[in-house]
Amino acid sequence: MKIAIFPPNSLILADLVERKGHEPLVLQSEIRKKVTSSEIDSPPLNITEEDPIKGLKYAAIEVPSGVRGRMSIFGPLIEEADAAMIMEDAPFGFGCIGCARTNELCMFNIRKRNIPVLELKYPTSKEETIEMVNKINEFLDSLEEKNG
Amino acid sequence: MLPPKNPEVTEKNPDDQITRMIILGPSANISQTELVRKLHMMELPLTIKSTCYGAVIGGDKDAVEKAVQDIRKVDEYNIFTKDRGFPPGDPRRCRAKRGGAREGFHQLEKEFELLDDVSKALKNPQKVKVKECKKISPDEFRKIAEECK
Repeated sequence: MKIAIFPPNSLILADLVERKGHEPLVLQSEIRKKVTSSEIDSPPLNITEEDPIKGLKYAAIEVPSGVRGRMSIFGPLIEEADAAMIMEDAPFGFGCIGCARTNELCMFNIRKRNIPVLELKYPTSKEETIEMVNKINEFLDSLEEKNG
Repeated sequence: MLPPKNPEVTEKNPDDQITRMIILGPSANISQTELVRKLHMMELPLTIKSTCYGAVIGGDKDAVEKAVQDIRKVDEYNIFTKDRGFPPGDPRRCRAKRGGAREGFHQLEKEFELLDDVSKALKNPQKVKVKECKKISPDEFRKIAEECK
């Protein structure tokens, strides 16, 4: 099954999904298409004129362009997903390397899709980490059961 | 006049070329050097780059996937892998060329702190109950909003 993960570039989530034989829908695979294409070869030109148009499907024109640009990459991944996992309050999803509004919009889009979703909080202790891993494994096993 | 195209020479699809990061957990039984040596010993057509967290490998999708599958067997619970968009040593991201931490390094640094506990949880799986999230009614939502005033 194709599993959307949030944050979409999380090592732990992507690795655990793969260990259970599912396909994680990660951001890097989309970025690869942009940086290995011969038309775009140097930053910051990692956005084409098609991208803001794609982004308009998820965010209105008044919304900051950064949100639309990000949604042009995250949006299709969310649409492709059969299930999703959200890890809230991940420390790397905020500040200059993230966008809080895009994060909110992504979570809203995931919840709106009516697919099985596992919602977690970013763990801060050993116990929480162990519980998080067990929950993820349990969720992934339950998806297998549903699909036979 | 252009020479006719040779049908046997097919252009490589960029989607078939992938890059993976192999990250060693804090309790891994092997070192970065051993990891890279093992990857070389597989004799697969790969670009292998040793890094502080493990290695980056790039090449044909099949070869990379096989290498990832085989290297996991070395220390199943302490070797983690992640996809990467940029090829190994890409000057747009390589620290040697541009200086400063590579984008994505801070995230990796933060997640690395949890890897030891993740591997412990993988070694000793336990049954837990996953609570299913449900939507609440507008009345219930109104009540919560009023309580928060």
